[in-house]
Amino acid sequence: MKIVAAKKIMKANEKHADLNRVRFRLAGTYVVNLMGSPGCGKTTLLEAMFAKIREQLAPAVIEGDLASAIDAERIEELGIPVVQINTDGACHLNATMVAAALENLKCEEIDLLVIENVGNLVCTAGFDLGESLRIVILSVSEGDDKVAKYPTIFKKSDILLVTKIDQLSDGRFDLDRVKADMAHLNPEANVFSVSALTGEGMDEFVGWLAEKAKKSKQK
Amino acid sequence: MHEVAIVQTLIEQVEDEVTKAGCAGPVTRLEVVVGRLSGANADSIRFAFELLAPDHALIEKAELVIDEPKAICRCLACQAENEIDELLPACPDCGSTEIRFEGGQDLLLQTIELEEESS
Repeated sequence: MKIVAAKKIMKANEKHADLNRVRFRLAGTYVVNLMGSPGCGKTTLLEAMFAKIREQLAPAVIEGDLASAIDAERIEELGIPVVQINTDGACHLNATMVAAALENLKCEEIDLLVIENVGNLVCTAGFDLGESLRIVILSVSEGDDKVAKYPTIFKKSDILLVTKIDQLSDGRFDLDRVKADMAHLNPEANVFSVSALTGEGMDEFVGWLAEKAKKSKQK
Repeated sequence: MHEVAIVQTLIEQVEDEVTKAGCAGPVTRLEVVVGRLSGANADSIRFAFELLAPDHALIEKAELVIDEPKAICRCLACQAENEIDELLPACPDCGSTEIRFEGGQDLLLQTIELEEESS
């Protein structure tokens, strides 16, 4: 006998992602899925971002790593609610892991929740967590060819954030090439360039994000 | 290797569907669709399936058949339509970057075949 299923294989994850999304909407929480390679500056960006944004919006963080609580400790030092997920080897977060982490957060008290995904430019793109916005980071030190070499994650993101632009001065990173590659692959995406170290570009990016988060709350 | 997670989900779905249909199994053949632009790699899916199947009596003897449909790259400048295996930066015919991708993104559990002893 034959069963014709014709169903999406990721449906289980999508179901949990939808449940998360409903929960976030009811609580009025704007959720960012922050993706990028190990060492691209995800946690450093958060430290710089929260310094600017926390007066207007109450933030919280879910940290995803294979092991350790190093990142969670950095966020905790800022006095911001944080939950660490250790994936024990898995290369990405999925919606179920996020749902479990939410048990330890009070969504009603959070305006902006950032889910810092496992450092990975490949697998994280495939898993909906229930987020409102997907940001992919590309740091200057990784090289300007990465949009072309890892197209999937860039195609599936809403924002490309180029970080460490204080390192642009050595001339080996062509920001225009990155913007052009992104425009071809994903014309709807916004591109921001920042340095968490010097603060360059941070006001523009943080201002844009805060506006987005506030607007979603009004709805 | 997020293909392991995908295959885990696949196996759960197969178990669900078989239960829903009121069958006992075992499954002899599974047809899945892994589009070239789905973000999953068919070889890795096969590998993960071989790795995980022996733990599940229902599907341990199942043959996994994977269809890998290509995508279409449609050029808005020269109107060319090319079958592609991967995302391209420009139209392979005229080099224009005004291109759109269609299809090839599916990741589907298509059919489940079981031994003929359904209730």
